[in-house]
Amino acid sequence: MILKPSRDDAKLIGWGIGRVILGVGLLMTVPLAVSLICSEWNVALDFLIGMLCCTAFWLAMELTCKTDRDFGWQHGLIVASGGWLVAMVFGAIPSFLSMHYETFLDACFDLMSGYTTTGLYLLQDLDHLSHGMNMWRHLLTYVGGQGIIVIALTFLFAGTAGAFKIYASEGKEEKLLPNVISTARAIWMISLSYLFVGSALLWIALLREGMPVGRGFLQAVWLFMGSWSTGGFAPQSLNLLYYHSLAIEVITMVIFVIGSLNFALHYAVWTGKVGEIWRNIEVRSFTFTIMLGSVILSIGFAKFGVFTHFSEFFRKGFYILISGHTTTGNSTVYSVSLYREFGFIAMWAVIMVMAIGASACSTGGGFKGLRMGILFRYLRGEVRKLASPESAVVAEKIHHVKDIWLDDPMVKGAMFIIVCYAVTYALGAMLGIMYGYDPNVAIFDAVSAGSNTGLSAGLTSPLMPAAMKVYYIFAMWAGRLEFVSIIALFSFGGASIRGRKGRKG
Amino acid sequence: MRVVTSLVGAITVIILVPACALLSSTTYAFADGERVTTQELIENAEAYDGRKVVIEGEVVGDIMIRGTHAWITVNDDTFSERSREEGGELTGISNYGIGVWLPAREVEEIRILGGYKSKGDRVRIQGVFHRADPENGGDMDIHGTYLEVLEPGYPINHPFAWWKLILILAFSVVVLLLGGMWWKRSRAS
Repeated sequence: MILKPSRDDAKLIGWGIGRVILGVGLLMTVPLAVSLICSEWNVALDFLIGMLCCTAFWLAMELTCKTDRDFGWQHGLIVASGGWLVAMVFGAIPSFLSMHYETFLDACFDLMSGYTTTGLYLLQDLDHLSHGMNMWRHLLTYVGGQGIIVIALTFLFAGTAGAFKIYASEGKEEKLLPNVISTARAIWMISLSYLFVGSALLWIALLREGMPVGRGFLQAVWLFMGSWSTGGFAPQSLNLLYYHSLAIEVITMVIFVIGSLNFALHYAVWTGKVGEIWRNIEVRSFTFTIMLGSVILSIGFAKFGVFTHFSEFFRKGFYILISGHTTTGNSTVYSVSLYREFGFIAMWAVIMVMAIGASACSTGGGFKGLRMGILFRYLRGEVRKLASPESAVVAEKIHHVKDIWLDDPMVKGAMFIIVCYAVTYALGAMLGIMYGYDPNVAIFDAVSAGSNTGLSAGLTSPLMPAAMKVYYIFAMWAGRLEFVSIIALFSFGGASIRGRKGRKG
Repeated sequence: MRVVTSLVGAITVIILVPACALLSSTTYAFADGERVTTQELIENAEAYDGRKVVIEGEVVGDIMIRGTHAWITVNDDTFSERSREEGGELTGISNYGIGVWLPAREVEEIRILGGYKSKGDRVRIQGVFHRADPENGGDMDIHGTYLEVLEPGYPINHPFAWWKLILILAFSVVVLLLGGMWWKRSRAS
């Protein structure tokens, strides 16, 4: 029997979402400060309007939805999934006011792309965009990488016993510390430490490559945010191709590889367990798939004959491969080049690694290395069972911070999420093909959106049909939250309409 | 016999005329030193690879001097004619541009670079297009040999948006009212 959610359930969810939106409003103080420092007055006004809208929404929720109940699992899931949607709408206000978007839907697309660290964008005339708005775009990816909920937990949910339920609903199941608020703060501590070091390195490299001091500083911070979060945004329309620099490419590559690693692995290394890097199932899975991808890419390049030197393979092929595998989306080639200059085989190597994606509990998307590892070990166990005597007991384990024995629920859980991703990719691809796009391009962009990568073979543009924009927003959102919260939100909606009234605990 | 000759003649004309037209247009498009757009270059990279080309557009972003040479970025999309900040129309296409690798002395003429606050100098560049430049790690670029400033850039004026200020005042009233109610309720409880 499906129970209709009570008024208190709705109030609790509304209150939680209100807090998340307050977090979005507080975030806008950063681009507001940048606009004021750079004397971009109209841009500053855009952010003030955005902040006031967020504050008004939060106050309205506090007044109408305040309740003494604590979060249950269902509430946590819905606050996470619903919070991201509402945060998209409120975050899009200053972006839309910048007048660089054709429609509000385009602005929402970019916001969701930013929050989910995808990196696809529909903004027009990026090369004439203000510093304030560029700061907003990059900050979104940086914050989105850690999770909007993580930031809200860090500052706005202190003292809430059900906080773990909201935290876990954002696609992060691992607690680094016993207390979830401390875990959220640890995630921020790790990210901010890398921000200082990574930005400083990039700044030095940019100065060496001829960039002026002031612009170099801003671009270093933005490039770090785009890379670390595996978002892939960059302040210029040519993305990483703009800099024509091996040093910048190597530094960003290191940053997005580190950013794509599991926060639990980061924490283990930070606390002195360096050996964890070599034993971790996700690192091993990533190493194997990147080697496989490199072999396929090399075959493709050799066959197509455009990038034939080692430096070209490294800076165009390998860079894009790692960028795709970590679901970053930073690019050293034009969008159309992925289709025209890479050739069919190399393009499919990139599609494969994008679909697999980065680590669980990281800033990245895709199936995730952990699930690929579980699946591989499960299949290996099945083969070993077939080859062993009937009486033999065959068990497989994985190492992820600690040794974990594989059991059926774990395998089923991993399989379920992998199937959800595959269906999301397939639906996006079919939609693209139905609209008349080349099948390779349609598949490439659909996988890129669903895995939160952000590389594009040329399909994603403000001219794409509105239905595809809506679907891509859905794919980015569902892919980032790993489907469970989304299913909970739809179930909640269904229960509100069709469920029976009853008492809920 | 006359009918056969006429038929052959007619068929020859039907086949040859479009073929000649096609050939001449092909020759025209790919002629060395011809003015092209960056979109044409990117989408037909194989055909233009290693050819002399001329592009015209706005210099945006930065001049990055590296020893005896420098990198600039030249955009020739619709926003290079009139940027969004000047009220240029949204065309559904984002920027189209290309990196140009030039002797450093050539870029000395450039005064203003395109960005939020300025329209960059409009330049004409002559150079050789590379589909995958072996000197620069496979970048798609132009090795420029000659740069000419066609029109100087200028600062973009952003008139203060008073309507946004009015909107802020209106929202502030709403926030103050809601805030007052919330504060009252918090004190009461």
